Amino acid sequence: MAYAGLGLVYPWDNSRLTIAMDEQRRRFEQLVLPHLGAAYNLARWLGGRDGEDVAQDAMLRAFRAFDGFRGGDAKAWLLAIVRNCHYTAVGRTRKTVPLPEQGENDIASDAPDPEVSAIDADRARKLNQAIASLPDEFRETLVLREMEDMSYREIAEITGAPIGTVMSRLARARALLRERWAAETKEAAP
Amino acid sequence: MTCERALEVQAYADGELDAVSALAVEQHLETCAECRVLHDGIVEMRAALKRDARYYRPAAAFAQRIRSGIAHEDRTAPRRATFGSRSFWTGAAGGVAATALAASLALFVMLPSAQDQLANDVASAHVRSLLGAHLIDVASSNHHVVKPWFAGRTDFSPPVGDYAEQGFPLVGGRLDYVDGRRAAVLVYRHGAHVVNVFVWKDDGSLSAREKDVSGYHILSWKEGGLFFCAVSDMESSELRDLSGLIQKNASG
Repeated sequence: MAYAGLGLVYPWDNSRLTIAMDEQRRRFEQLVLPHLGAAYNLARWLGGRDGEDVAQDAMLRAFRAFDGFRGGDAKAWLLAIVRNCHYTAVGRTRKTVPLPEQGENDIASDAPDPEVSAIDADRARKLNQAIASLPDEFRETLVLREMEDMSYREIAEITGAPIGTVMSRLARARALLRERWAAETKEAAP
Repeated sequence: MTCERALEVQAYADGELDAVSALAVEQHLETCAECRVLHDGIVEMRAALKRDARYYRPAAAFAQRIRSGIAHEDRTAPRRATFGSRSFWTGAAGGVAATALAASLALFVMLPSAQDQLANDVASAHVRSLLGAHLIDVASSNHHVVKPWFAGRTDFSPPVGDYAEQGFPLVGGRLDYVDGRRAAVLVYRHGAHVVNVFVWKDDGSLSAREKDVSGYHILSWKEGGLFFCAVSDMESSELRDLSGLIQKNASG
């Protein structure tokens, strides 16, 4: 009786593959799809406009690779795939993301709100400019930590760097960001 | 000049420290002005990022594209069984879940002695490993990979061998918690069957025996200060074969 249940996890038993696959897709929709937004955000911060293709590619890859997912944090697992897809796509060239032009409609959830004063908009633009100007490894670490709430350990897993490196990158990213942000703000000051 | 505790302070600001270390950093912050500036800077920057940093969100059309991409993927992927609609298989999966539930209930209602308790625990750990995604932590047929993996995680070293030639290829290993103990688990395959071999330090409280629980055969033995407990739905004679191979490996 209980044998039927084993079909779910016996990838080598073809006759039970179909049940396993439907179950697989259901689990994927439950565990991985909710992190689509995070995947998209990271892909855009890494690759600019090209990030959209990267995010799509990453989601499909994640689905294909899902039977290799052995539990753990699905978000971290997915973001690692996004990151790999990005670096594969750009051939590991080091560059900073071009900031999307103003007015692009999918750039922000809190996009042009007429109530928002020009000063606020300007302040936000400068901060985003400063983030975009960070070197890749600092920017990705900062995005994972501050926007995606990933722990040091998760960031280490996603980026394949030791935790010590994650910590020093994060410190460096914050120092640089502060510096550039301050510079931007000063430039504009009368 | 940067204070040598700067990274610690950062870790504190990121909520990465345990209570004791956090307390130590809080005390440090009271006396180190430089670290106070660093800490407040991180907190301030975090607020600014929360307020102003762009969080890119996919358009609805994008999410839709992903969903249909996956559905397409699902249809075009190789499928052997062609009979039956989705609802048939959904029903089948439901049946499976019900069976699994029944199996676990059957385990639950048995009145356990210490030894029975162990057998039940091992059998449910086995079922759990097959139903969940947690069959293996380290997937490898190479015992040179699996054995060192255990080294940092257990205070004993289970004998790890691959018996593919004898029909029991090693699939991998994992850690599990059985009957209040941390156990190293060696996972073998035999045809379509999975065998979980639980290993822990023998404390003398259990004796070697054979037992059946809900259709699973459980075989336990002692060897070299370790207690072994193998569980599978394959024939008990086959289980004894594997046990023999492991014992030979451990003593040889």
